[in-house]
Amino acid sequence: MSETTREPDARRLATEARDRVRFEEDALALSDQVYRVARHLVGSREEAEDLVQETYARAFRSWRSFTPGTNLRAWLLRILTNLNIDRGRRVQRQPDQQPLEEGDYFLYNRLEATSDGVPDEERVVQRLSQNDVVSALSEVPHDFRDVIVLVDIGDFTYADAAQILDVPVGTVMSRLHRGRRILKKAMAESAVGSES
Amino acid sequence: MCNCDECEQWMQPYMDRVLTDAERAEAETHLNECTYCRKRYRFEEHLRQFVHQAVIEPMPVELKQKLADLRTPLM
Repeated sequence: MSETTREPDARRLATEARDRVRFEEDALALSDQVYRVARHLVGSREEAEDLVQETYARAFRSWRSFTPGTNLRAWLLRILTNLNIDRGRRVQRQPDQQPLEEGDYFLYNRLEATSDGVPDEERVVQRLSQNDVVSALSEVPHDFRDVIVLVDIGDFTYADAAQILDVPVGTVMSRLHRGRRILKKAMAESAVGSES
Repeated sequence: MCNCDECEQWMQPYMDRVLTDAERAEAETHLNECTYCRKRYRFEEHLRQFVHQAVIEPMPVELKQKLADLRTPLM
């Protein structure tokens, strides 16, 4: 160590500065995709904006802990979901909550039953509005929604989602399958009302 | 061969392509013969695309600027 001279130090600093700039540029290029996921992990646009800003502030501070060549988008989302949990989500969380779900055909059956005539499958989808989807998604309990947002909206693989949420892949799969059914039930209620 | 109840259970793993080859073949045999299930599988495909599109909300321009401002200043 006593052999260390100023010149290698300067070179090291220059390399580090270049790596940092590259990291920051790469991270910023992903911000639309990070926001897209964040927007549906939390309740409001304001919360999503705060969360994304906190995520980037933390990412820029701890950029050295990112391993180049690994999935940066997943790394950013891992920070984001951890921050989201730290933001008091634990308080609202009810681990014993067992939301009701219906089978995978439920939504189609409900939409078809309330249609005139026998529409084709694409027409049936058109009975749903953008708002039906957004409001239904916000009703899905957190644990299930996180997985739907990461996999179905953020296009993460099961394995990435498992790493981001720090749960086993099997948990991602079971939450995803149940979560989609819960979502479909909520969309049915939003589009055609609850069954009487 | 599977029945409609099993076919409903297999819908998500089928779409996610995580069924075994044997299960997939069994599901496809059923789907070829059953209009009821086939309609619901097609609906699911359209639904997934619709959900993916419906939730897109553009990122506010100001936020993009705020993130850029968080960068480490260059010396």
